[in-house]
Amino acid sequence: MSSKSTIYSFLILGLAVTLLLIVAPVVYAISLSFYRMDSFVGTPEWAGLDNYARVLSQWEFWRALINGFVYSLGTIVFQVVLGIGFALVLNQVFPGRNLVRGLSILPYLLPTVVVVLTFKWMVDGSIGVLTNVIAALGLPPVYWFESPGAAMASVILVSVWMWTPFVTTTFLAALQTVPTSLYEAAKVDGTTAIQRFFHITLPMLKPILTVIVLLRAVWMFNKFDVIWLLTQGGPVGSTEHLAILSYRTAFSLFDIGGGAAIATISFAILSVAVFIYFRMFPLDTE
Amino acid sequence: MAQVSLKQVRKAYGGTVAVHGVDLEIGDGEFVVFLGPSGCGKSTTLRMIAGLEEITSGTIEIGGRDVTRLEPKDRNIAMVFQNYALYPHKTIYENLAFGLRMRKMERDEIDRRVKAASVMLGLDPYLERKPKQLSGGQMQRVALGRALVRNPEVFLLDEPLSNLDAKLRVRMREEIARLHQEVGTSMVYVTHDQVEAMTLANRIVIMKDGYVQQVGAPLEVYDRPANLFVASFVGSPEMNLVEGRVEAGAFRSGGLTIPLPEGVQAAEGTDIVLGVRPEHISVGEGPHALPFDIAVIEQLGAQTLCIGQVAGVRLRVLMERTDAVRNGSALPVSFRPEGLHLFIKQSGARLDTRRSPVGQ
Repeated sequence: MSSKSTIYSFLILGLAVTLLLIVAPVVYAISLSFYRMDSFVGTPEWAGLDNYARVLSQWEFWRALINGFVYSLGTIVFQVVLGIGFALVLNQVFPGRNLVRGLSILPYLLPTVVVVLTFKWMVDGSIGVLTNVIAALGLPPVYWFESPGAAMASVILVSVWMWTPFVTTTFLAALQTVPTSLYEAAKVDGTTAIQRFFHITLPMLKPILTVIVLLRAVWMFNKFDVIWLLTQGGPVGSTEHLAILSYRTAFSLFDIGGGAAIATISFAILSVAVFIYFRMFPLDTE
Repeated sequence: MAQVSLKQVRKAYGGTVAVHGVDLEIGDGEFVVFLGPSGCGKSTTLRMIAGLEEITSGTIEIGGRDVTRLEPKDRNIAMVFQNYALYPHKTIYENLAFGLRMRKMERDEIDRRVKAASVMLGLDPYLERKPKQLSGGQMQRVALGRALVRNPEVFLLDEPLSNLDAKLRVRMREEIARLHQEVGTSMVYVTHDQVEAMTLANRIVIMKDGYVQQVGAPLEVYDRPANLFVASFVGSPEMNLVEGRVEAGAFRSGGLTIPLPEGVQAAEGTDIVLGVRPEHISVGEGPHALPFDIAVIEQLGAQTLCIGQVAGVRLRVLMERTDAVRNGSALPVSFRPEGLHLFIKQSGARLDTRRSPVGQ
């Protein structure tokens, strides 16, 4: 087999898998959004843009959109800031560093359901560790899943807890690529540690940071399991974002066309956001 | 400009000692080169002067001021790194200006200094470029410029030319020498290249295994190497070193017998090493001439290097260019007493009647 045909055979295989597992379901989901369906077995009825018009006129949609932005922004900011902070600490030389580095990745390795259950247990109204600490400090009790603000804080907190290690690990790996002599030159040039972070570390790691923020943003905007397991979008829709609303519309209300329309709009918003993001932060090597 | 004074400066990493108590006085405006093989402690010593490496014991003074515990930024030094260490995301102008900006210097003064340095180093056409758009030689000039604009008391240069190709290295060597003449600031330079050391230094500090082996002017080190290591490290082609023994007032190795130079006294039976530079072996007939059987000929252009044997002892002989010699032929050679160096085999110390009596 010539090298050209080998290349084509791999290419075609890859394309076939992509078509089958990614493109086809996406196209199918988008096509569903143009039909009126109340189950997956019935005959779909062409609806044109009716589903979109209906979804966009519901205030639940706009609430979910705003919730999605609040959740994504909150989790990304905390994950990135804390992740970089931990990475900088773990990049220092101290006794037991390797052990601490190993432990720091632990939350990322745990199944979501374990993390969520652990958190629920920690904030349990009578035996929860956090509940008791708050009580011991003389602070008023926090109703984690009952008040809208606290519920949003809970889902953000658990998400940050779980995925900050991803940022830490990636950033820590990237830190190893910055030549030590740059820091030394900057020391001789009279910089403080903070100035070295802003003049060397951050600009040197800008490309990797761009990718980290993008990946976290996409994952967080579509994140389903944490919220579903913790609050199922409640109380009264205060933690319901587009992914949950789409699921609830399609599988609880059996408005499959509406659910698909919400998912399609969510996909479009994300695509536009990614496009704008790359225009703002091009992935160059400088 | 300032003097630099190292007093018993020592560096240990746990149980491993990298630098054993270095004592050195570097004069105002002097160009001192630390020379030695990798791992000899030369870079560590330089980095201790810079403040990038903590000192285990001892003191360092710059301009009469004890800087031992000061941060690099407070020592008024500038450093040039082997890999240039230019900030890749900043323009050349910003690279040059960065140290001055961090010191909160007036914008006009920064601009004046950057412009002056860039003219001096021929960098003005590149000020708006980023480092990766420059060649190796240009990047090294920026690194020099970054040190220059600071107007420091001492320049520290850590193998600044080792990333350049041979031709560029020679050119940059000249530029560094010119720069030193123009600014007159003390420079401490680290290299493993003895040609760089010989051509640039006012004084060379030769190091091995964390110990200073010899401190001296380039020709002093060349003419009177203090020990076997210096003898073998300085000079190109390398000095011939022949192991032998003192017998009947002469050096004897195999079939080779050479009378000891006048004034050298060595106890009968002492194991010694005779050193003679390839360029100090005379070619031509004479009363003590011996036949040199040539095995290999290396034409260097202006000179011819022959490798062969004299009385069964392997030697290299460097002579004026000769086209006539052939492999397998023999030439008469003789050893001039002033070109001979004798070392005690066991300690490596130089046998020198003017300094140390025989056997010590």
